[in-house]
Order: sequence, then C-alpha cells, then structure tokens
Amino acid sequence: MVQALWPGRFTWVLHMASRLKFTCMLIGVLGILEGCAGASVSVPTRFPVPLVQKVPLVVGMHLPDELTNYTFVQDLGQEGEFSIDLGDAQRTMFENLFTGMFNGIELVDDPSLPHEGIAGVLVPHISELQFSTPDQTRSDYFEVWIRYQFQLYSRDGQLLGEWPLTAYGKANTQNFGLSTTEPTLQAAALAACRDAMAFFTLQFRSIPAVQNWLAAELLGGST
Amino acid sequence: MNNHRFVKRITATATLARIGRWAAAVSAAACLSGCVTSTVQEVREAATGINAGESIVVLGRQKRPNSGETEIDFIECVENKMGGGSNQIKVIDEEDFRDALFPWFEPRTAPVNTSDLPELMAQPALAERLNELGLRYMVWIDGSTNRTDSAGSMTCSLTTAGAGCFGFLSWENDSSYEASIWDVRSGNAVGKVSSDAIGTSYMPAIVIPVPLIARVQKSACNSLANQLKSFIHNG
Repeated sequence: MVQALWPGRFTWVLHMASRLKFTCMLIGVLGILEGCAGASVSVPTRFPVPLVQKVPLVVGMHLPDELTNYTFVQDLGQEGEFSIDLGDAQRTMFENLFTGMFNGIELVDDPSLPHEGIAGVLVPHISELQFSTPDQTRSDYFEVWIRYQFQLYSRDGQLLGEWPLTAYGKANTQNFGLSTTEPTLQAAALAACRDAMAFFTLQFRSIPAVQNWLAAELLGGST
Repeated sequence: MNNHRFVKRITATATLARIGRWAAAVSAAACLSGCVTSTVQEVREAATGINAGESIVVLGRQKRPNSGETEIDFIECVENKMGGGSNQIKVIDEEDFRDALFPWFEPRTAPVNTSDLPELMAQPALAERLNELGLRYMVWIDGSTNRTDSAGSMTCSLTTAGAGCFGFLSWENDSSYEASIWDVRSGNAVGKVSSDAIGTSYMPAIVIPVPLIARVQKSACNSLANQLKSFIHNG
C-alpha cells in the first residue's frame, strides 16, 4: 500500500517543487525588473469641479497642442526610463476647473483673434516638469512638480498678462502594495494636477492683470 | 484480533500526537502573531453626540514636502470599523468628500485649526454642500506605523535542484496615531483620541519561511475606531 502510494506522492512533490522553483524565479526576475525598468504612466482624466464662487463671466479657453500632447520623458540611468503622459488629462482638468470658476466657457482656436460673447481667453501651458523617485530622496515618496504658465487675452485678442503657477504632488509607495512604481508615480502626478487646480482657484483673483481685467469687465458689464 | 487492536491503538496515539503537535504549533503561532500591546487615550474638550442622518468624515492629514503622512489603508480601516458593528456611525468616504468639497480639503488648502472653519463655512456653496452631506464631525488623523527594530538573518537559495530558505528574522513595528475631532456645527474641537500599538513579528525559515506577523497597525486601527465611536456617542 505504502509502496503503491509513494511513487504518486513523490511525483506530486517533484511537481510542486518545480512549480515553486518557477514561481521563485519569476518573483526574482520581476523583482529585478521592478527595480530598474522605470515606469510609463498616464494621468487619469477624472477631476472634480471646484466648489467656489463663480466669476460672473463667460470666458474662452484655448488648449495648445503642446499642452494636450504633453509627455515628459526622462532617463534616470540605472533606475530606467520614466514617462509621464499629462496631455490626455489636460482637457478634462481645465474644462472642469473653468466650469467651476466661471459662468460659462467656450473653446477657442486662436486667442489672438477678437471674439464675441466672451470676456477674455485663458491659455495654459506647461513650461516645466520635474519628479523625484524614492531612491533619489531616500524616502517612501514619489514627488512631482509641474510649472504652468497662464496667459490671459482680452476679448479683442490682446495679451493682458501672464503668470506662473507651480504645483506639487506626492504619493507614498507604502499605499500601493508590491508593485509600487507606476501606481505611485501616477498618484503623485495626479496629486500635482489637483494641486494646480486648487492653487489656480486661490491665486486667480490676486493676479494684478486679472484684477484689472475683472474690474474692467465686471464694472463695464460687458458679458 | 489483538494485533488489530494494537494497530488501532497505535494509530489513535499517533493521531492524538499529531493533533497535539498541530495544537501546539497553532497556539504558538497565535501567541507569537498576537503579541501586540496597544493603548488608547482620550481627551475630551466638549460634549458630543450624533443624531440619525448626521455623518462624519475621517481625513488623513496630508502634508507638504518632506513629511510623512497617514497610510491610506489605515484611514480606510478606521472608516470601515466606525461604519460597521455596534454603535455604527454613517461615514463619508474620504475621496468622495475631498472631491465633493474640492478644492477646500486638498493638502494646500485644508484647514489646519478649527479657527479656519468659520472662514470656510462663510462660503455659501461650501456650507450648503456640507449640509447636504449631513456632516457633523471631521476626524483628522495624524500618525503612521514604522519599523523600529529588526534582527536576525535569512538566506534563500535557488538552484536547479530546488529552492529553500534558512534563518530567523524578527522585527518590531510601532504604530502611533492621533485623531482630532472637530464639531462642524459648533466650529470647535471637541477632543482627541490617540492610539499606540507595538508588536514584534517573527519569521523562522527551515526551507519554507513561516511568517508570524504581529498585526500592529490593525490593532491600532481597531482600538482607535472603537474609542472614537464611544467618544462620539457617549459625550
């Protein structure tokens, strides 16, 4: 009976050992790849609409192709190549931001041309992006900085002013289980986009060019 | 016949011995994995209570660069524990709350003290949204779980003949969290509850590593959530 059972069990043990060996090798290989393969992430396109007192104006929004196609790529040598695609998220991000902030928005092809029915045109640009990995900062965090540049055009197509806005986001690798690089970098980039929206709502009315424009448009009752 | 009884007795004895070994192993594992010490403290500054239809939100304090922050799974654990079991309280999901009140609870804009609340509540749209949500209390959680000590070593090898690990590891985790409770209706801080837990995990390995994990963070979460429920209901 024992002799009859053992060959079967031995085969099973060998089979399990073989599977365990394969799993261990796979985990090892994945671990090595995780450590040096970089990451390629795209920021999700889901953003909230700000809950703020609306500016009682209809504005135009021009999103340049460089913004809507923006992808940041950096090779960090041993850490691999990192790619952050922000472009896809920019349309939803700015549509939601301006929808929450103004009475209405209209997409505009060329901000330098005169437009009827809108009080002015806002044009966002990304002028710079930087990020840091946990290895670089000896922490558990991916951090992302995005430097935006905003332009404000009058209804006649004249540039009234421009101002920078630096947004920051970070995300903790400890929140993302075993495979942490891509989800954490994505979360940090998303946090930076949300910070840009939050900062814009706070900062907008304090920009001198915007204050002058608002005073002229609101007192003039143009739109 | 006698031989048959003898064989049966041996089989029964062997089975008992096997059960005994398993029981010993399970109890040892339970002892080792359950060695967590936790303490909870509470400071009350004002009376509390919650009506049907009112809700709370549990928020992790998010800080600007170069600072740690509370783990998302800890916040979710406290939310789930407070929203279930006896004396359950209606809890608004943190992400839904931040989205519904965007941008007022982002790291850049979130109120730091209760003195910031009146300014926030002065905004009609924000106050109306908070009323819609039935929000009565904000619970701000600060703290984290950190590894404070580790010892031992383990060697794993992978060859064509097989794989295996030998050695012994142990590590100590320390959880320290503090919850500040703000009454949105009165605009005052009503108290603080803190939860600390410490525990040691072990991993002996003879071919296969056997992790005996001390659930330090979960212990801190359970203690904090239960105390928060008690704090809010029994004020």
